[in-house]
Amino acid sequence: MNDQIIKLEDVKKYFPVRGGVFSRVIGHVKAVDGVSFTIKKGETLGLVGESGCGKSTLGRTILKLLDPTDGSVYFKDHSIFETSKEELRRLRRELQMIFQDPYSSLNPRLNVGEIIGESIEFHGMASGKEKQEKVEYMLEVCGLSPHHHRRYPHEFSGGQRQRIGIARALSLNPEFVVADEPISSLDVSIQAQIVNLMEDLQEEFGLTYLFISHDLSMVRYISDHVAVMYLGKVVEICDKKELYDNPLHPYTQALLSAVPIMDPDLKSNRIILSGDVPSPANPPKGCNFNPRCLYAEDRCRIEEPELRDIGAGHSVSCHLVEKR
Amino acid sequence: MSDLLQVKNLNTSFHTEDGVVRAVNDVSFNLKHGDAMGIVGESGCGKSVACLSIMRLINHPGKVEADKITLEEKDLLKLNEKQMRKIRGNEMAFIFQEPMTSLNPVYTIGFQLQEAIRLHQGLGKRESWQKSIDMLKMVGIPSAENIAEEYPHCLSGGMKQRAMIAMALSCEPKILFADEPTTALDVTIQAQILQLMRDLKERINTAIVFISHDLGVISEMVDRVIVMYCGRIIEESDTRSIIKEPKHPYTIGLINSKPQINEEINKLIPISGSVPNPLQVPPGCPYNPRCEHAMEIEVSRGHYVNCWLYSKKGGQVRQ
Repeated sequence: MNDQIIKLEDVKKYFPVRGGVFSRVIGHVKAVDGVSFTIKKGETLGLVGESGCGKSTLGRTILKLLDPTDGSVYFKDHSIFETSKEELRRLRRELQMIFQDPYSSLNPRLNVGEIIGESIEFHGMASGKEKQEKVEYMLEVCGLSPHHHRRYPHEFSGGQRQRIGIARALSLNPEFVVADEPISSLDVSIQAQIVNLMEDLQEEFGLTYLFISHDLSMVRYISDHVAVMYLGKVVEICDKKELYDNPLHPYTQALLSAVPIMDPDLKSNRIILSGDVPSPANPPKGCNFNPRCLYAEDRCRIEEPELRDIGAGHSVSCHLVEKR
Repeated sequence: MSDLLQVKNLNTSFHTEDGVVRAVNDVSFNLKHGDAMGIVGESGCGKSVACLSIMRLINHPGKVEADKITLEEKDLLKLNEKQMRKIRGNEMAFIFQEPMTSLNPVYTIGFQLQEAIRLHQGLGKRESWQKSIDMLKMVGIPSAENIAEEYPHCLSGGMKQRAMIAMALSCEPKILFADEPTTALDVTIQAQILQLMRDLKERINTAIVFISHDLGVISEMVDRVIVMYCGRIIEESDTRSIIKEPKHPYTIGLINSKPQINEEINKLIPISGSVPNPLQVPPGCPYNPRCEHAMEIEVSRGHYVNCWLYSKKGGQVRQ
């Protein structure tokens, strides 16, 4: 279909582990291990998972900020992994990223006008006075005052810096934006401002987001579809409402039940997982989740489950979905 | 029962080159044996500094002043540093936010645990080592004998936080300050740690002061909540009524700006603006630039009700 703007096919990103005297490759950290999904135009896909599950690595790999190990990513008709450097540079205008840490992702030596204007000029969209106007327009759209363009990043608060990061990403009129934990370093009262801003801008510019976060309640709010990652793999992906109302993978169930709910009257039937997330350098055999799973059977310890559609666009990778 | 901890008009200020930062302003609260109290607020609201001030862990250029800080009968303001050391870690313990940086990387877990036990309880080498291993077992660390000989970098974040809790509880303190103990952890690990803390609290009847910015965690852990903003207590009540019937516009804003996982909402209602620079706290109510109900009232110092909306004067103006 034509409204698919991003399509991932079996994307893999392995980091080599070196050791010994000659620093030979002695193993791989399988940060992203065979991820496939599609995102439709104008939609938001929420990507959730705990730290180390590979969600940020995936976000960066999609934009080829990290060299992929295998697989392919299609943006409309372009295969991102196969395009030449020159062409990719042009393509990047359409593919932008909002970073997690608003403190380290802005160059402290450039003023805001330069930070936002740099990419506008680089991509030949405008220069001189026109560029200036575009910068001021973007600042205003993102809730900053246009005369702030002469200021430097250190003069702004965390929330304002994140707005600058968003203004920079959107100044090129991209179609697809990867937002890598854009709110996790902000205070609660500011988080809502930034999420609302992202939603308003999505409506105004028809953006498509990949929203990476570990905050499950915020993801529920902003996303249309949600993918849950565990140890480099997507274990469940479906419509937002379906995922939160009817989670099928035992990991998703545990993850959702672990989120504290602000209601003293509610008795939570929390599923407490034992143990920690295993190291992605040495993932368990069979299903990745089997050492922590409440339902694991012999089959789970040997055979790796595939992500399969069980109807109504709900995909889950668990052998025992039908049984439970 | 008499109060375990009484704090009256605690003021902590930092004298910096740029001016005086009043991190904590007239904070008062009482704590009974076995209480669980929460302090909620955003970063920079003074919630951690207030607790560090009580433990007297504030260094130069910080200055702690208070009318009264008593632990049972002891006046903590009159103790010298040596006497204070006997209390810290023994009668009052602190769990820090980041388990990654609050353990000493060059000593084994067991060594760091037994250090406090030997110091405060006067046990011998062997007994204190044994007690450290028992503590590690109590907080649910598997094969505690081996872990005790490991260095902190060998442990995951959740395990380190368990070790920190074991250390804090090793002398069975009367008060445990837990400063965002689960913020740096993943949700599934957070659930484990919160469960553990609840169990341990029942077992050794320690009073807990639980500092967090997450009202969800707070509502699970404590009976009473203090909400802080700009170093001041702006609302205080039992957990239920804070969450069900918040009164202060800031508390209401804080609750509204966070979506809940069990409900579908159409639009978030954020608090506008941001926390003021602590060097330039606005006059009057510190929340007034962000408050939608803000009124023009000549503010006198020392008002007790922290929002004019609920005072007689405010009510008249509103009408």
